[in-house]
Amino acid sequence: MILLLLPILLVSCLFLAASGNRLGRLVFPLAAAPLVVTFIWGCSQLVSTAPSAEERLVWVSGLSLNFIFQLSSLASLMTVLVSGIGICVFMYSFGYFSDDSQGLNTFSATLLLFSTAMLGLVWADSVWTLFIFWELTSITSFLLVGHKNTYKEARLSARRALLITAAGGLCLLAGLLLIADSAGTTRLSEMGTAEFSSTAAVLIMIAAATKSAQFPFHIWLPGAMAAPTPVSAYLHSATMVKAGVVLAALFSPTFAETGTWKTVGLFFGIASMLWGGIGALRQFDAKLILAWGTVSQLGLLFTLLSLGSAKATFAAIAILAAHAVFKAALFMVVGEIDVRTGTRDIRKLAGLASSMPITFGVAAVSAASMAGVPPLLGFAAKEAAIEAVLKLSGTQDLIAGGSIVVGSVITVAYTTRFMLGVFSTPSQEAASDATPVAPQSVGMSVSSSLLGACSVIGFLILPKVSTWVKSAAMQLNPEAEIYKLYRWPGLTTAFLVSAAIVASGLVLGWFAEKKIVAEAKPAGARFADLSVSTILRTAQVITGKMQHGSLPFYIATMAITASVATMPFLFALDVEPIYWSDSWAQTTLAILAIISSLTVAAVRTRLSAAIALGFVGLSITGLFVAHGAPDLALTQLLVETVIVVGFVVGLGKLAHGFPQVGVIWRGVRFLVSALIGFAVTAALVASASAPTGEPPLEAIAEKSQTVGGGNNIVNVILTDMRALDTLGEITVLVVVAIGILALAKPRLPSIEREDAAKENVI
Amino acid sequence: MSFVLVLTTASLTSVGIYLITSRSLSRIILGFSLLSHAVVIGLLAAAGPAGQAPLADETSAASSANPLPQALSLTAIVISFGLTLFLLALARRQQAVTGDDLVEDDLEDRRIRQSSSDYRSEHP
Amino acid sequence: MITSDSPILRTSVNVISPLALLVATYLFFAGHNKPGGGFAAGLVIGAVVILRTITGLQRDIQAARILSIGTVIAAGVAVAPIFFGETMLDQAVWQVTAPVLGKIKLGSALVFDLGVTLVVVGMLTAAIEGLGGTHYPVEEEF
Repeated sequence: MILLLLPILLVSCLFLAASGNRLGRLVFPLAAAPLVVTFIWGCSQLVSTAPSAEERLVWVSGLSLNFIFQLSSLASLMTVLVSGIGICVFMYSFGYFSDDSQGLNTFSATLLLFSTAMLGLVWADSVWTLFIFWELTSITSFLLVGHKNTYKEARLSARRALLITAAGGLCLLAGLLLIADSAGTTRLSEMGTAEFSSTAAVLIMIAAATKSAQFPFHIWLPGAMAAPTPVSAYLHSATMVKAGVVLAALFSPTFAETGTWKTVGLFFGIASMLWGGIGALRQFDAKLILAWGTVSQLGLLFTLLSLGSAKATFAAIAILAAHAVFKAALFMVVGEIDVRTGTRDIRKLAGLASSMPITFGVAAVSAASMAGVPPLLGFAAKEAAIEAVLKLSGTQDLIAGGSIVVGSVITVAYTTRFMLGVFSTPSQEAASDATPVAPQSVGMSVSSSLLGACSVIGFLILPKVSTWVKSAAMQLNPEAEIYKLYRWPGLTTAFLVSAAIVASGLVLGWFAEKKIVAEAKPAGARFADLSVSTILRTAQVITGKMQHGSLPFYIATMAITASVATMPFLFALDVEPIYWSDSWAQTTLAILAIISSLTVAAVRTRLSAAIALGFVGLSITGLFVAHGAPDLALTQLLVETVIVVGFVVGLGKLAHGFPQVGVIWRGVRFLVSALIGFAVTAALVASASAPTGEPPLEAIAEKSQTVGGGNNIVNVILTDMRALDTLGEITVLVVVAIGILALAKPRLPSIEREDAAKENVI
Repeated sequence: MSFVLVLTTASLTSVGIYLITSRSLSRIILGFSLLSHAVVIGLLAAAGPAGQAPLADETSAASSANPLPQALSLTAIVISFGLTLFLLALARRQQAVTGDDLVEDDLEDRRIRQSSSDYRSEHP
Repeated sequence: MITSDSPILRTSVNVISPLALLVATYLFFAGHNKPGGGFAAGLVIGAVVILRTITGLQRDIQAARILSIGTVIAAGVAVAPIFFGETMLDQAVWQVTAPVLGKIKLGSALVFDLGVTLVVVGMLTAAIEGLGGTHYPVEEEF
């Protein structure tokens, strides 16, 4: 079934992307269609208890690289959440956008592609499949955050989100490689529990934390609110940010015995839970309050999962589901307020409770669920968490438990502040100050109401929800079998604790609403942007320094680099294979070559330099003869003749001497030359120091006669044994000839000269 | 390995690099020629001791010089020959266009340098 | 066009030309057994072309044509064996005994070498065409 659904989803994406602007807002119902199919299938899987069969798609058979999918209990719960909320989001988008909005087809296609990626991620059973869909969610998130690509803020935020989540993706890849290596399998379901390396645990935890916007990686999430509200509701509250949680959940049994896993997870979780809550208390943008609240809630999930006890895991899954429902609804509410009033600032919003009654109702229910007030889904989930906290022992766990309680108080507080700020009527000013409101849109109201109702329905069918949560939790920790969600737990300690939490949270929230007036600065995001721009600036400055346009400078740089690179050879020198000279003729000719080469550099006119170059060539020819290389000598002699003639013919007209250069630059050139000469000596001697075998002279000679049928071995090598080299060589010659002919063509030299004159002025 | 050949290679390289770091295209070509000589001599030095010409019917394999590096060198000579001619044509063109054969700073690179200092003044 | 009006030079180049062609032919066929070969032959012929151009004995030079013929020959020999089910650049060999040169190998390698020779000649012709400045407006001396 999975291998049927994925193509359907992908084809739908392509269809939407290709549909152009013809369909207008109708793209959204169309995009929802494949998700409806997925949702129905997901529900059927949720109800059935039998684990689904593994589905496999061979990708690269030689590398045994396959797409492997299997629907676990957690995966079916996530499937229902991702597809169900996806349907609501598409319905909501239908109301959120107007018909004349541009780029709706690409937007809906990207959003559906994200759904596909997210579904693939939860269905994946091979670490590579998991990784690919993980990266795909990062990329689609980047595209969706940057949807308003004409706004600088959106582009910056998108880049920040991509940099952080992609860095996490790299950590994930490294972690998966390590763990697949030590576990001996790439299948998640076969991973088992063993003592794995702490490095792998930390890497995977970091990957999860970047994706789930955990402190200090949370800085991308508030920025991602630049995206249209459907994206925020879907990706940045309900689903994508849960990918990290899912990852942490999937690997929690694997790393159960790796101590670092728990410590790192608790650090991320507690820090995010508290800092995210404080951040939510300090914001004035309603959407940002929710975003920071999401950071806090995700921190709670991380903390619970890292605690590792069966009850905590059970509670984490319950909150995962409840949070997806109420946070998506709240985002939709904020989006609707934004569209209908034109602002999201809680200082400007007032009195919406009476002017937007349906919206208010949805917000009230969802906020209450978030705060953990009965009779709602959030309450039952929070109760489970508190119960788990009360069972903890040990310093580390108790710190975590205490933080969860404090975090819950803060959650209630920012929820209260959010509701008061957005909906209450200011007491002092007149009621006429209520924000003006545009008429409501059916698409937005229906979908947010639907999600709001889910918090209630979830409570009504709590035993069912409890079973689903339990089976998902049992997949991670089999001991979770005994737990269930209670509608009414009775006057237990846990209930009293949560009552106290809600009460103190209400008070704190009320104070916060009154007292907090200064807006918080997004310090983390600015730090991240600053780091990126510093890197870019450093790169630019270095590039400007290195690539400043002077050819001599480039060559000198290369020569110095090459010389320095040969320095290690100095430690591998062996002078034994070195002898002075092969013959007297060789010595004499070598001295001649060196003297005439120095002459080439010393003389100041082109003609004498060309003649000196000819002398170098003649000496080299002699060296070839002395070495026993008549073919080389013959070719060198002819080549040298032609070059000297070419030099005289081509450049002889430039009668004046070479331009003078400054003393310093000349000194630098001397030094570089000396250095490279020294390096060449060292490298050549070092190459003789480590002979790896004798040249097969006899074999080559024999082959030349038998295979090539010639006695001149050099020539047989060229035209027969290594004829392909020769073919490449004449290709070079042909290209050179074409280049020379092209250079010779008189392409309006007068105009070009003017251009050149202008350029020289610059 | 003959140390005389090593020294020849080293000094040809030195002089070649000295010439090629000049601004005059003529001297760059001279330097390029010397560098290609240096490469061939280096190959020859690394090939083993001098010997007789590698002709299978006239010299015994043991007394002949190593033919394989010679074949490689031959290719190297011809290719560097082609490139030298190309450089000469470039210099000729430069001379016909600007009246001299000097290599100016690359304009595109100069723009990069300029943009880096612009960047610095915009983002202090 | 760079030309030299010296009659002595002209005459000597005129005399040398056929001799040089003879040398080139020898080098071309000797290549397999003695020093020489396609490159050397091409360089000799090319040098002759250059000398004749400089002395003004030859004006109409068509580098592009020589180049393309050479390239087609060499590439054709290289690719041809593929059509006979052999590997690229495989050789077909016939032995011939000729006077002066002794036993020579007539084979596809020789044809390949002919292509090489033509390419070298073509390149030298192109070089004198480009460097000799046949296309540039004459500016200073000359």
